Amino acid sequence: MSAAALERQIRPIYDALDTGSNKSAIVACNKLLKKHPKNVLIKALKALALIRSQKVEESLVLCDEVLQSKPIDDGILTAMMHVLRGLGRHNDMVTMFDEAYKQQPTNEDLGAQTFFANVRVSRWKSAHQIATRMYKQFQDERYLFWSIISAVLQAKDVSTPPNMRTILYQLAHRLITSSPTPSYVNADRFHLHLTILRDLKLYEEANKLIDSDIGKSICATNLSCNEIRRDICIQQGRIQEEAERAEQLIVEKKDRNWLEFLSVLDGAVPAAVSAGTANKSTDAGANINRVQELFTKVAEEDASKDRSAALALLELEKRARTHGLSQDRSRLLTLLKQYFEKFGDKACCFEDLKPFLELEESELAQLTSFLEAVPTSFTTVSELRRLINSYKILRYTLPLTDITEEKESARVAAYVRFYFEGLALGDGLPSSELQPADDLVLLAGNTYVSLWKLTDGDCHLLNAVYLLEFALIKSKQSFLTRLILIRLYRLLGASNAALEHYRAMQVKQVQHDTLSHLILSRASTFSLSATGDITLSTECLESTQIYLSNSQETGDFIVRAFTGEKYSQIPEFISFEDQLDNSLQRDTVKIEHLRMRLTHEPINSDLIDMELIELKFIFDRIHYDNRDFAILPNYQPKLSEGLHNQTLLFSKPEGDAWMMTFLKVYIRAFQQASDLDDTVEEKLLIGDRPKQTADFDKKLSLRDRLMQRDPEHLSSLTLDEVKFVEYAHALIDWLEPYHNHCRPPPAVVLAEAAKQTELKTGHPLKGIDIPPLNGNGHHKKSEEPPAIHEAPEVVVKYFDAAKSRFKEAQSKPSPSELLHVATLAQEAYLLLVTETLRFKNPSVVKIHKLGNLVTNFKTLRSDALSALAEISSTLIKRGESDGSSDSRHLCMDHCSSDLSSNIDHDFIVTCAKKICDSRKKVLDGVGKGIDRLRTTYA
Amino acid sequence: MSVLRPFKASDMFRFNNINLDIWTETYGIGFYLSYLSRWPDLCCVQEAPSGRMMGYVLGKAEGSGAEWHGHVTAITVAPEYRRLSLARKMMSLLEMVSEEIYKAFFVDLYVRCANIVAIEMYEKMEYSVYRRVREYYGNLGIGKGGKDEEDAFDMRKPLPRDVNQRSIRPNGRDIIVSAHDVS
Ligand SMILES: CC(C)(COP(=O)(O)OP(=O)(O)OC[C@H]1O[C@@H](n2cnc3c(N)ncnc32)[C@H](O)[C@@H]1OP(=O)(O)O)[C@@H](O)C(=O)NCCC(=O)NCCS
Repeated sequence: MSAAALERQIRPIYDALDTGSNKSAIVACNKLLKKHPKNVLIKALKALALIRSQKVEESLVLCDEVLQSKPIDDGILTAMMHVLRGLGRHNDMVTMFDEAYKQQPTNEDLGAQTFFANVRVSRWKSAHQIATRMYKQFQDERYLFWSIISAVLQAKDVSTPPNMRTILYQLAHRLITSSPTPSYVNADRFHLHLTILRDLKLYEEANKLIDSDIGKSICATNLSCNEIRRDICIQQGRIQEEAERAEQLIVEKKDRNWLEFLSVLDGAVPAAVSAGTANKSTDAGANINRVQELFTKVAEEDASKDRSAALALLELEKRARTHGLSQDRSRLLTLLKQYFEKFGDKACCFEDLKPFLELEESELAQLTSFLEAVPTSFTTVSELRRLINSYKILRYTLPLTDITEEKESARVAAYVRFYFEGLALGDGLPSSELQPADDLVLLAGNTYVSLWKLTDGDCHLLNAVYLLEFALIKSKQSFLTRLILIRLYRLLGASNAALEHYRAMQVKQVQHDTLSHLILSRASTFSLSATGDITLSTECLESTQIYLSNSQETGDFIVRAFTGEKYSQIPEFISFEDQLDNSLQRDTVKIEHLRMRLTHEPINSDLIDMELIELKFIFDRIHYDNRDFAILPNYQPKLSEGLHNQTLLFSKPEGDAWMMTFLKVYIRAFQQASDLDDTVEEKLLIGDRPKQTADFDKKLSLRDRLMQRDPEHLSSLTLDEVKFVEYAHALIDWLEPYHNHCRPPPAVVLAEAAKQTELKTGHPLKGIDIPPLNGNGHHKKSEEPPAIHEAPEVVVKYFDAAKSRFKEAQSKPSPSELLHVATLAQEAYLLLVTETLRFKNPSVVKIHKLGNLVTNFKTLRSDALSALAEISSTLIKRGESDGSSDSRHLCMDHCSSDLSSNIDHDFIVTCAKKICDSRKKVLDGVGKGIDRLRTTYA
Repeated sequence: MSVLRPFKASDMFRFNNINLDIWTETYGIGFYLSYLSRWPDLCCVQEAPSGRMMGYVLGKAEGSGAEWHGHVTAITVAPEYRRLSLARKMMSLLEMVSEEIYKAFFVDLYVRCANIVAIEMYEKMEYSVYRRVREYYGNLGIGKGGKDEEDAFDMRKPLPRDVNQRSIRPNGRDIIVSAHDVS
């Protein structure tokens, strides 16, 4: 058949792939392969269709065949690029392109592909070499710059030793100076050039570029270049020059970028006191006066149009004070008052002034009486804002002695009163708009939380809920109100109500990474997975989609930035990708999801093996905390813990320490339960092994690291979690020798894996020699079993202790703690199930003579089961009572008169019902779930 | 008072206070990265001295021949920082870069016909309606505002290079094109 005819026949395969009809693509490939069994392109396309149909093992076989043929054809390479990406085998991709390019060194496109393949796996050294070769061959300056930035990126890579860094920068410098066209033809090349000069501290050379006409013009029109320029000036101490330049911009160009004001300020007086700047006081004094005059003039000119100069005056005075150069002790206070007079009606006035509120007692007293005099009657939004700003500042500066139940109650009453009065100003606003009085509700919400902390009375949380829910009727889009409500509902054990608000915020895309902590931290406490209601575990999975998008998409944009020569963006994209890929929240959610999964899916070796591999990867990586806590509207006094800490579930943060603690527990437990040891895992792994980025002593073995306990880590665990973790490690320590004794040797495990693969795909597992098996597959050990020990006391007593903790928690009005204790006891039982799974097989026990050990399990299990029975039935009963109308009335009775006089009674009924229903649902569900697990693993 | 600085990829971790507002859409990461990988100089952020993000603008340069122009894809300011001239400053940066770097003839943007606040704001900044685009926001369905909700005004402001001011037409509001006719 002619080539053209074959091409015609292959076309439909591409069409099928393009439209996602992978099945018909596979059928078409099979048909063609019958006629052309050696055609590599068809094999590659089939491998692609297979991987897209999740048939990984089958795809692997073809993939290896194609790679062995060392393809150079463009179509094959492109198809394989997608296959290898799908398999996560980026290293193979590099090899494939490397070899193809070697065979066709004049193929420019292939050169670029090879370069990009290296970029995707951060092999900067090879990338640099390829780009250098390409530049020689094709004489396109772009490749010269690719080689330059590759050297810079290699210098920045954490794995590059420090002494190499300078050498690499010097190389980059040499290359960029050798460029036939100067770097300033293009802003991003210029940016790269300046970065290199800055990092090599070659200031003179940098100044030449910056001070040239063209350099000036680039910096004036490109914010990124201007950023570096400013950096370079400051680093070499050209502070005065920079200040003069900035002053000119402010005066002549009316530039109001705060960065320019900062430059002028830095010229006059540094922000912090450092050694060596002390004795220039006369000079500094004169400078301060001059700049003060300048800012005063600008502030007058700008009036209320721009806040920059007014704020710069405050900053100047603050700095003068720091250096003991303030000439007028009353000045700061005067400026604060002036600022408030001028901008008190701007929503951000409080935030603007926050950094300047470190005042002495007498000053504070004056400011307080000034702010207390702000009229509380208002007829315009401006007046209302002024009042709100005064309240925010007053609250922020409260001394501890003023944070008492009585005073906080009075404050909340005032906030509430003026909120309801303020609603009149928002009458008739479209439903998409926010009420101007909303911040009063947020202030009240903060204060109710403070009262709850002071008194431990849940009534304050209930009142907060009533008010905030009401405010949401008036401002449907107020996400700040929802944020507080989410926290409150979780504290109140009304998890479903929290989820409703979270969903209403329509968190999407990258926001999942920064905001899912709101609903998913310790979410297994409220999970009903055991009953088959997988709402929360689905929420976990949805929130992790973004990490998939990141690994699929971000790399493409890095490549695009290379193609488009946007060098300023490349390091940013790389660190973005990294930060998302290694997100702390990602792996925290992973742990939560695992905890839920164990209650929902059968615990068997498939689950254990898969989770184990993933968890070990997580353990090896560095974590970035991208969680957004600043989003919570915190209006608490600066001396208090702040709203975020106050409203954390169980008053404990989740974070790296929490995640690592649970990670260690599960890795250890699964390692024991699993037959996969490292050698087996290596053979069975499909994609590239992720880089070990975690910072740890490389001399330590994995086991050493798993055994390390950091006592500080325990401080982010609740007491119940601490008990659970102690129990878990004791259980694991106790059973370790027996597991090791029984675990089949790697060869046997591999043989079994190979058998399974062959059954599934019809092909044997590659690269594995299967040793002859003896008998029934159970290997008999010649050595005697380790001595049998009784279960350790921590393990034996765990469930009794859990029972008494459970009793204690019953007295709390909110069921959250109760659920916490209950779900941990459930988790402890499932851990026991996991740990003893291996010994369920009677022949294993018999062969290894572990009969005496297994008797131990029986008592443990029955103790646990009886504890769980009690917990489960109590939860269900509590659910009944929390959902009853009596409970609802009790909730409603807590409604304060401030609220009940302004909010419709029916509305309070609805809110109370929502809380009670939500509590009932979770109590009942968790109770029934525990019961179900008792039967499953009886 | 605010810091005007380039939009960076990592700003996506920090823009919640702006993007949780209903008028601001949160797109997939590819959306932001595609702008940054092509027009980083047309994307900038306004930031408070505390480091909190206040608003941002994303723009691009497109069109051929005399249609070569700067385009404002998204401009947004967090509710608590509105009416502080932040939008105005970001627009003037975008106009300046469109003019000086991209040598564009004009700058344009699309705005929902019902978004009176924004339309008036752009008019004050010397933009005028060039045409009305039918069902530009059509996929969202007709809301309370009827056609004004789903139609967009294409508003333009001439730059010095548009010597004949071809991007201004007095009867722009009456010139109606369908969404298919615009890119
Ligand atoms: C539209 C938006 C970007 C304006 O941002 P901003 O920073 O508040 O705008 P500025 O302070 O720079 O306003 C510039 C001028 O526009 C006009 N303007 C802006 N908002 C206004 C409002 N709510 N009412 C009346 N005029 C308004 C004023 O003339 C203002 O000048 P002035 O304050 O000196 O009178 C902001 O409201 C926003 O983010 N809205 C949601 C997103 C959106 O609608 N984007 C536009 C889509 S095309």
